[in-house]
Amino acid sequence: MTENMHLTMMKGNEALGEAAIRAGCRFFFGYPITPQSELPAYMARRMPEVSGTYLQAESELAAVNMVLGAAATGVRAMTSSSSPGFSLKQEGISYMIGSQLPCVVVNIMRGGPGLGNIQPAQGDYFQMVKGGGHGDYHMVTLAPSTVQELVDLTMLAFELADQYRNPVAILGDGLLGQTMEPVRFPGMKEDDAEKDWALTGAKGRAKRVITSLELNPENLEAHNLKLQEKFARMKANEIRWEEYLCSDAEMVVVAYGTAARIARAAVDAARSIGYKVGLFRPISLWPFPSAGLARLAQNGVQRFLDVEMSSGQMIEDVQLAVLGQAKVHLYGRMGGVVPTPREVLHEIQKVMGGEAK
Amino acid sequence: MREIKLELNENRCKGCELCVQACPRDVLAMGSNINALGYRPAAVIAPEKCTGCKACALVCPEVVFTIYQSA
Repeated sequence: MTENMHLTMMKGNEALGEAAIRAGCRFFFGYPITPQSELPAYMARRMPEVSGTYLQAESELAAVNMVLGAAATGVRAMTSSSSPGFSLKQEGISYMIGSQLPCVVVNIMRGGPGLGNIQPAQGDYFQMVKGGGHGDYHMVTLAPSTVQELVDLTMLAFELADQYRNPVAILGDGLLGQTMEPVRFPGMKEDDAEKDWALTGAKGRAKRVITSLELNPENLEAHNLKLQEKFARMKANEIRWEEYLCSDAEMVVVAYGTAARIARAAVDAARSIGYKVGLFRPISLWPFPSAGLARLAQNGVQRFLDVEMSSGQMIEDVQLAVLGQAKVHLYGRMGGVVPTPREVLHEIQKVMGGEAK
Repeated sequence: MREIKLELNENRCKGCELCVQACPRDVLAMGSNINALGYRPAAVIAPEKCTGCKACALVCPEVVFTIYQSA
């Protein structure tokens, strides 16, 4: 296993594909949809080179259920889509969580609702974080904001999926998927974990059953309690966030993914004209880094500015985290409109009041 | 006199706007039409101002530009 020290200039979607292969993913089931189509296209070319399987399914539903089938045999599998296509994958995700199957699912968001358009947006927060599919479930949802972080979090996603036997989601948007940046890849990882639940042929051992069906209510409740215990462990161990210039901040901007990248430039501009502003960037959207935000509010941050490329979805979790201890303002753009750092700076100035200190 | 011809393959463009920022002479702007990929592509609005400096071609991640010059 050799560490690749070279920097490679790569598009987000393609870097994601390479990261999955490096993480030991050998099965990709896709269906094209802009702005994530470079990912299945990359996998179609790359999978045969590593003796993996790429299959373009007849629909998103078929793709996600192929992932279910592959994951049941204990291999690392992935599927990807963009907003409208990701809606179609919710059923399979619920089934995989019920069946305790690991996999990685990718949503490169675009403008909605409905077919919407193909510009970058963040309107799928509720869908990813609050359920989307049916039943009592959660999945770790990771939101990278650079192509390098996209690579690192994709590698992590496969580890977490296996660790918890649960799907893990990568949530990006069209801008991250299309952006070209230099990235560094770690070496190839072998997926050699022993999976004592996988369907590998029952020769010489008792048969194993993978299903999400349980007709007896008491048994299904017991199964749910087991899942809830797993979600509680994810909540205890998988919260990730980044704080930027927060230690002396009077006001903190909260944003994830692409919006956080733009907000960071706005925070730098605000600092240069004397505003004490910081940036709080959730990396795991579920579990949400509530404790980190609550601590900032307790330490005297009285105003938060939630910046999203949506009508304001994450803001509900921000408000829950600060529980009325601070005022939470919203700057949301919709329909695939990407705010500029100047526009975010203007909102910062509005919230902080005219004069820089 | 040296002649410059700037060619823009608009169906490769993903509308990232980098070329518009890079052009020192405002030769390029974002168009209002939608291309074959579904994006709003860049457009050459002032070809006569182009000096063939290649700034657009260098920043373009999608290899949209070809620049010709007469001998």
